[in-house]
Amino acid sequence: MSGKKDFKAVSRRHFLNTLGLGSAGLVLAGSYGFSFRRDHESKMLKAIVVDFEKCSGCRTCEAVCSAFNHKVNIEGIEMEGLGNPELSNIRVHHYNPDIDIPSTCALCEDTPCIEACPVEPHPETGRKALYKDPESGIILNDLERCIGCSSCAMACKEKRGGVIRPNPETGSPERMCTLCGGNPQCVENCPYDALSYIEIDDSIEFYGMAPGKIAQKLIMKLYNLKLEEV
Amino acid sequence: MSTKGYYGRMLEVNLSDGSVEVTKIADSDIKNFIGGRGLGAKILWDRLKPGTDPLSPENILMFMPGPFSGLPIPSSSRTCVVTKSTRTSAVGEMYKHGSTLSYSNMGGFFGPGLRFAGYDAMLVTGKSQKPVYIRIEEDNVTIEDAEKYWGMGTDKFDKQFPRDLGEGRWESCYIGPAGEAQVPMACIINTAARAAGRGGTGCVMGSKNLKAIAVKGSKMPNIADLERYNELLKTVRKSFMKKDDNVMNWRYGGTANALSSSSRGGTQAVKNYSEGSYSEIEKIGTEANRKEIWKRDFACYACQLACKKSGYAKGGYETLVHDGPEYETGTMLGANLMISDISGLQKLIFVADDYGVDIISSGNTIGFLMEAYERGDIDSEFLDGIKLEWGNVDAAMAMLHKICKREGIGELASRGVKALSEKIGKGSSDYAIHVKGHELAAWNVPVRNSYWAVTYATANRGACHMNGGNVSGQDGSCLRDSIGACNFASSWYRNETHYRHFMKAITGLEWTEEEFNTAGSRIFTMEKMFNYRDGFRREDDIIPEKFFKNKFTYGEHAGAIVDRDEFRTNMDNYYESRGWDKETSRPTDDTLRKLGLEFTI
Repeated sequence: MSGKKDFKAVSRRHFLNTLGLGSAGLVLAGSYGFSFRRDHESKMLKAIVVDFEKCSGCRTCEAVCSAFNHKVNIEGIEMEGLGNPELSNIRVHHYNPDIDIPSTCALCEDTPCIEACPVEPHPETGRKALYKDPESGIILNDLERCIGCSSCAMACKEKRGGVIRPNPETGSPERMCTLCGGNPQCVENCPYDALSYIEIDDSIEFYGMAPGKIAQKLIMKLYNLKLEEV
Repeated sequence: MSTKGYYGRMLEVNLSDGSVEVTKIADSDIKNFIGGRGLGAKILWDRLKPGTDPLSPENILMFMPGPFSGLPIPSSSRTCVVTKSTRTSAVGEMYKHGSTLSYSNMGGFFGPGLRFAGYDAMLVTGKSQKPVYIRIEEDNVTIEDAEKYWGMGTDKFDKQFPRDLGEGRWESCYIGPAGEAQVPMACIINTAARAAGRGGTGCVMGSKNLKAIAVKGSKMPNIADLERYNELLKTVRKSFMKKDDNVMNWRYGGTANALSSSSRGGTQAVKNYSEGSYSEIEKIGTEANRKEIWKRDFACYACQLACKKSGYAKGGYETLVHDGPEYETGTMLGANLMISDISGLQKLIFVADDYGVDIISSGNTIGFLMEAYERGDIDSEFLDGIKLEWGNVDAAMAMLHKICKREGIGELASRGVKALSEKIGKGSSDYAIHVKGHELAAWNVPVRNSYWAVTYATANRGACHMNGGNVSGQDGSCLRDSIGACNFASSWYRNETHYRHFMKAITGLEWTEEEFNTAGSRIFTMEKMFNYRDGFRREDDIIPEKFFKNKFTYGEHAGAIVDRDEFRTNMDNYYESRGWDKETSRPTDDTLRKLGLEFTI
């Protein structure tokens, strides 16, 4: 498993070769499944990269994400929860013909979710309710200031993969990746090595594509069939 | 408060009056019968009158996850469908509708889904007047119209249904046209391929006019010792993550690896069990499928083995491949029919799954008819004009359609080899390969008969290849089916990561090795008492005559046959080690008391 933790810099070409993807895979890998942030020490991006060819759809990533990010406190001791996949930030979408598409917050450079947030920037911090943490690069939501309008979720759905979902009761955004404090548990525990947290250079293109679209392309490639409608 | 790790809640839906109820599961039943298959057997004993017609509204169709289901313990996603079998009958015919129970296990995501919705068990009784499905969104449970889905194959339904259900992730299981037509060997399917295949589960579902169940939820039960559980979980994950040969072999070929190895070992069902090895097995084995068909490996919830194989078959019988062949489907529709056309085999599997029919029973039945046709005990007129010759994909396909539609000869054939041989006569019962009416699976008997003959003869659902050929194997199987764990992963749950350690962390109850094993015996014996009450005796615990009369002629195991006296001795020894009476096969009162089953006396 050590390979996963080697944050070695790879060129775009090397990166794609490593994933063993053909040209169709290139667009696909580049277009979705990234959760990346700019490392301010270098011009590299640390990204959660999905190898769609390897994912078996077991949803272990969901269980460990949920367990880590929804800890429980028992008699003063904080520990990982039971990990209901419904509470996970990463989400595996299943399709017929059989394909599974893990989808996770991309921590986009241009953050359409934050753009869409209508809350006035705070006079001191300059932050809207939804903002990017400069240290970690993750997207955070200030529940005190969030008005629950779901604009961020809609923007994510329209312009990216639609990872952000509004809480059904409050409307405030959920499922933004936390990177688990720097050691993403989904990557750490993926039994099939389908997820990596690696550095890629910032020339890699990012096309925020919805899981259904990715599924469509992969189904065409693997089975030579069309996914009728997603 | 229920036992930790359980909700103690059972969802009961009556399709006759449309009532939905949540009832409490007694803590004593949880401790004694655990969940899944075990709890199902207890409920069936409690609630069904002896001799109940399996197709009557009184029969209960149970969906039984176990205490592991929904927890991300690797390879523990399973759900047991428990009901009274549509397939079995006793020699003594104490009751017109006397039959065994059926337990049929499926992987995937449905069992975890039920648990996420807040239930440890789901019971469906009654019969709807028109086609319906049940929609479960935690406490919001409704019975919905399913008219527009009636007649839909499982592949199309699997695509259509989730879209219609709308937002969020729904898990579902359903029947195909075979279940709708109440084909006795119909099964329940999920994800277009995974099946609760055996014992007529889909026929019972069809008899209730129930097309599907959809479930969604975000609950989790409270467990007793989260810290200890997390520690065990991390240890067992680590042992899988070593990715040793065992893990990688499962991923590479799944159970299809056994197509070649079993054939070499002489334990494969070939030519209606006349042979144990197949000369053309490599044409449909793992390597051929890896090369020509399979594109992806798929796993059930939180499983590290990914034994489900999907792809696309080209050639004469182009088809999408949801899963297969695995050992059972590849043997029963392949080797057993002498079919080695890989795309033809894939198409047969796809069509069978699309109808939602048990491939073991339907493949066995077609094999029986091929033998009867070859022997001249039946002619093509008997088969509505089909020239049912060995290895003929088109003929096998035509027969499969007839069975799944109960059309023409399919009406009789859909009832399996016992019914067919009774009609045909001419000594055909000798080569009707079933026990108690339930067809044997893909493991042939003679070569390792001390194991396989006992396995099939003593299985509580009629012939069952997952039963185990001795007491400890059978009890272990019962336990895995009751907690929700997959049999294929049992070797990772030994010693420090033994299931019982998880059980202790989850429930907080002491689970010593002895207590755990005794629970397995209790569950197996509970099932036996259900069957005994319905009229099954020692004379029902037999194997087909063919195994005593037919010698293999091909391969290194040529000459293999079962010795009648040896079989009898093995069975005597078996009853003795169970503490059951040798004459009647009934567990003795003493045995029943020791197991805490005195209420069955």
